[in-house]
Amino acid sequence: MTDTTNIDAAAERKLKEAYFTASQGQLIWQRFKKNKSALAGAWVLIFLILSGIFAPFLTPYDATIAGRDKDYMNGAPQIPSFCDDNGCSLRPFVYTTERSRSIKTNFRWVTETDTSLEGRRYVEFFTKGVPYTFLGMNFETHLFGVDKGMIHIFGTDSTGKDIYSRTLTAINTSMAVGTIGVVIAFILALAIGGIAGYYGGWIDSGLQMMTDTVRTIPSIPLFMALAAFIPDTWSAEARFFFISMVLGLIGWPTLARRIRTHLLTERNQEYVLAAQLCGASPAHIIRRHLLPSFTSYIIVDLVISFPYMILSETALSFIGLGLKDPVNSLGVMLQNVTSADVLLNYQWYFIPVIFFIILVLAFVFVGDGLRDAADPYSDSSK
Amino acid sequence: MLEFSKFVVVRAVLAIFTLVLVSFIVFSLMELVPGDCAERYLAFKNSQGAVITAADIQAERVRLGLDQPYIQRWGSWIINAFQGEYGDSCILRLNISQLLGDKFWLSLGLCLSALLLAYAIAIPVGILAATSKNAVLNNSLRLVSYLGLALPNFLLALMIMLFSTVMFGDSLTGLFSKEFRDAAWSYERVKDFLGHVWLPIFILGWSATAFAIQTVRALMSDEIGKLYVTAAAARGVSGRRLLMRYPARHALSPIINSLGFDLNRIFNELPIVALILTLTEAGSLLIEALARSNDQQLAGAIIFLLTASIVGINFITDIILALTDPRVRRSIVG
Repeated sequence: MTDTTNIDAAAERKLKEAYFTASQGQLIWQRFKKNKSALAGAWVLIFLILSGIFAPFLTPYDATIAGRDKDYMNGAPQIPSFCDDNGCSLRPFVYTTERSRSIKTNFRWVTETDTSLEGRRYVEFFTKGVPYTFLGMNFETHLFGVDKGMIHIFGTDSTGKDIYSRTLTAINTSMAVGTIGVVIAFILALAIGGIAGYYGGWIDSGLQMMTDTVRTIPSIPLFMALAAFIPDTWSAEARFFFISMVLGLIGWPTLARRIRTHLLTERNQEYVLAAQLCGASPAHIIRRHLLPSFTSYIIVDLVISFPYMILSETALSFIGLGLKDPVNSLGVMLQNVTSADVLLNYQWYFIPVIFFIILVLAFVFVGDGLRDAADPYSDSSK
Repeated sequence: MLEFSKFVVVRAVLAIFTLVLVSFIVFSLMELVPGDCAERYLAFKNSQGAVITAADIQAERVRLGLDQPYIQRWGSWIINAFQGEYGDSCILRLNISQLLGDKFWLSLGLCLSALLLAYAIAIPVGILAATSKNAVLNNSLRLVSYLGLALPNFLLALMIMLFSTVMFGDSLTGLFSKEFRDAAWSYERVKDFLGHVWLPIFILGWSATAFAIQTVRALMSDEIGKLYVTAAAARGVSGRRLLMRYPARHALSPIINSLGFDLNRIFNELPIVALILTLTEAGSLLIEALARSNDQQLAGAIIFLLTASIVGINFITDIILALTDPRVRRSIVG
């Protein structure tokens, strides 16, 4: 009897000790793990990011005009099936389509589907296809493909580009744009918020005035004006970097304010004074005491601002001021969907939207979960 | 009273100062656009067959006052801007105030209605969510506010268009039916307008509503656990009366302060939603000015006007808050 109580007490003490000696990161991870929706969001996010990174392998075709299927333009999604009127097969298949015009079709382009046994295209895995470079090595194996012709599980757009391939590449683009944007916003915010918070006084007031003014101007119209400066002669890559920079400029004021507030409150804390009295240099105080006190908040802020970057990029590209073909992004893919033709006949153009809503939702869930987890008072308040 | 008028004056001066700073940013942006008005105008003339020399461009610059120093031109621009005069558009060769005319007020009206709608929904729903222990209600509200974040207004507009085209064969776009588009205002036109305008207002208010529900709920749940609420309940006040008289009054006053930023958020969405729904007001004029013709005067004027209305709202809400919230009033009078 006493033995078990002793063991229990020892275990409890050990748990408490683990709790008290845990690092900030371990504590955050402990709290984050308990939040089921945030954890689910994190898994979805990892899955989507990985599928973006491995897009060349996961997608059967090149996402640019080079990978177009000239026999299947504005084509509906092809769902592999096992059975049809000609019997069943163990291997799923889609049908061959051919685009032709002749006197029979009144010289209009017509897409015909061959539903005979010969017209079946069998789905294969790990097929050899278009060569691509990944991590500096050349590959040509793709996850799936068909034995002859092409397969488009999400359909094709007006030029015959595979929407599935484009969607996965677009995730990559969005992540890249978001990362560059967040990094730029972070550097600006750290510099401006850091200076304001560290020096205080009139420098702080002046910088606050400026930050607040920039925050008052509606950012999207302002950045539409900025993006309109891009000359038409710029290459797609130059455009890409410029747009990412512009997005970085959207994010900094809010972040800068938060950094400034953290610095201002932390600067006068007793532990900083104690460190100063012990003779620590300012560099040491900033590195060992001030930075760790709010890195978790900064990380949370960065994660939360990520979806805004992605959505702003989508909005800019959508109205034609952002990225352009051949760079793929959700905004680029949605550029022509408002026409009645697309709305009525080619609804599969909207499939990528689902992926992006999931991507943004995953970010929001993870951001919310991290925010709750990083708040040291969230345990005691409940 | 004296302190109060001092407060109003200080706020007004601050607002004007902000506007001057904004005008500097906007004006500099306009100046950064490659090529000035003189070059554009003469390039246009050139395309009409006239032969243009460098001297012509210089003469045109002098005529438009573009040869004067930067600060001086900015000064005259800002003085004119405060009088509601933005000069001529470079591309359209029309007076900007005439060009904007009703369109700006129509846009502002749309955005303000969207803001109103957002809070008309968010305040009761947010209060309900904060007080209710119903898990289904709370979870579905959480989902709605997450969707408000993940499905930005323009994607929502696209989805509604897709849905209505497939279901009803009508894309529900525009602000007027064909026959009323250029007609003078009349009873029929107003009726037609109201029949179209609810959709853009709903779409513009969509994310704002989601955000506002979150805010109201958070503020309300903070207040509801406080001692004065318990004390009031102990005195026998209960139900809706308790909520409205005690926590709601405290929780809602910070919201008045954030109206300006909510309006900012709605303005952000305005041009893109306008493009999708083919609205003919300032938002689409902005798109036109930026995306198609690169008309820096027009773009600058619209951005300045949008910001000016946010600054105006911020000023008004500051005053209202000082008038209605005793806590703020105390801090002013001291």
